[in-house]
Amino acid sequence: MKSGLTLGIETSCDETAASVVTSENVVLSSVVSSQVDLHARYGGVVPEVASRAHVSLINPVIAQALVEAGVEPKDIDLVAATNGPGLVGSLLIGVSAAKALSLVWGKPYIGVNHLEAHLYSCFLEEPDLELPLIVLLVSGGHTILVQMEEHLRYSILGQTLDDAVGEAYDKVARYLGLGYPGGPVIDHLAETGSNNIEFPRPMINQGYDFSFSGLKTAVINYVRQNPETPAEDVAASFQEAVVEVLTSKARKAAAETGAKGLCIGGGVAANSRLREEIFDICLEDGLHPFVPSRAYCTDNAAMVAATGWRRFLQDGPSLLDSGANPNLKLS
Amino acid sequence: MIILGIESATAQVGCAIGGHEGVLASIHSARGRRHAENLTPQIEFVLKQARINMNEISVVAVDVGPGLYTGLRVGVATAVSVAFGLGVPMIGVSSLDLLAYPVRHCSKLIVATIDARRGEIFHADYRQVPGGVQRVSEPSVSTPDDLAAELQAHGNEAILVGDGAVRYADTFTNLRGVEAAEPSIAFPSAASIVQLAHAKALREEFVVPTELEPVYLRKPDAVEIENQKRRLL
Ligand SMILES: [Zn+2]
Repeated sequence: MKSGLTLGIETSCDETAASVVTSENVVLSSVVSSQVDLHARYGGVVPEVASRAHVSLINPVIAQALVEAGVEPKDIDLVAATNGPGLVGSLLIGVSAAKALSLVWGKPYIGVNHLEAHLYSCFLEEPDLELPLIVLLVSGGHTILVQMEEHLRYSILGQTLDDAVGEAYDKVARYLGLGYPGGPVIDHLAETGSNNIEFPRPMINQGYDFSFSGLKTAVINYVRQNPETPAEDVAASFQEAVVEVLTSKARKAAAETGAKGLCIGGGVAANSRLREEIFDICLEDGLHPFVPSRAYCTDNAAMVAATGWRRFLQDGPSLLDSGANPNLKLS
Repeated sequence: MIILGIESATAQVGCAIGGHEGVLASIHSARGRRHAENLTPQIEFVLKQARINMNEISVVAVDVGPGLYTGLRVGVATAVSVAFGLGVPMIGVSSLDLLAYPVRHCSKLIVATIDARRGEIFHADYRQVPGGVQRVSEPSVSTPDDLAAELQAHGNEAILVGDGAVRYADTFTNLRGVEAAEPSIAFPSAASIVQLAHAKALREEFVVPTELEPVYLRKPDAVEIENQKRRLL
């Protein structure tokens, strides 16, 4: 008997995703249809293109998630959808689909904060992670350092004052003519390059906030003045600067707050250098490391379902007349 | 046969329920941009008012546009999910057909218009036929001036209906032989969807949820810019 089955739906940016997860965080299905190829030619996510794709994909993706999980609508206990932050036109498609299914199936609906869902992606694979934790949430839209004191309670220690990390990767990649998205290309190129250029580490000793716009400009200026430098070396040196800034702040936060573990989440958490460094730091400092598998770093609906269930147990359902909030904050 | 009709392609959002007996209940709201917030509770409400159970719905009909993109997509995503959730077929109805339908008794050329924003209008022409109207031009998007020039050029007596004609009333008031329909029917009605879908259902013009696509009539801006660049290079 499967109980506490949640159908999760995610459409906040450029992935259309649906997933069925049990109350014990067992993922029965997780379907993600990425639009990355649609947006690649524009060098970034185009909101109108994303919204159109979500409308076409939402129904097939949900249908597939149910089939792969081997469940019938009557088995579903909760319908959860990301209701912010994100692109408003994209969010509304997932929210509309979820509310409609909730109504016709007679099951409760809950709106889920996308950032909270990323924090909870750690618990999908390791449900017994001990709190308190420090979570570094890094993606194309966010760079946030969070202290998680207990379940569903956090404080934001710091965030980016300008570009998100993923955004800096995209801009540097675009300047180097490497294409989109920038994260995976730079990561791949960096493997064969050497870290021999001394790029700045912005704000490295100033509190927990981040700034990546200056680093991005420094890289672009360097390449302009030294056009002969191999792109591999630029990639490796840029990546090293980014990873050092991110991990040194996360490490300091873990020490100062007495955290038991250190987690990463979000699309940039798929970066191989960052993953490696988190393990090394945790080993040295006696912390429990947690690095989600790559499929749970990028946007997915399993994290939405798992977070939805947890929130539902604490707060109850959302109203059917609720909408989406593109600027939703983590609180 | 019980049909749920959903309409959210313009500044208003609404739904209606009905079938062989006609329209049993309908609702519309037009304040603020609350399509996504209002639509699901509206469906719940009309079902209650008509004393129809969810599982009695046999067809979901939806306005597929053209219209305002975000609202249109909220309507389509909701309708598709209701149909999928219940396992029933769908019928797509054009927003312009819905506007022409209430003026079907007029023998003039009927021009259905929808405010497309950015200084443009979605429009199509219709003619009275026994039992309704027939579309006689492809839905397209033009500036009000171009539409006015077109109307003057073919010189037919015409009636303009829809919020495009209301918004650009100044452009159309002095045109010879052209009159404006009442502003009270300037928006597509959910009741009309149920009526038009009923006729289509009798002809079995059903689609499955995955086949239903919104009608945009415009490419996304980024695609347009890309195309222009390619033409210039
Ligand atoms: Zn995300």
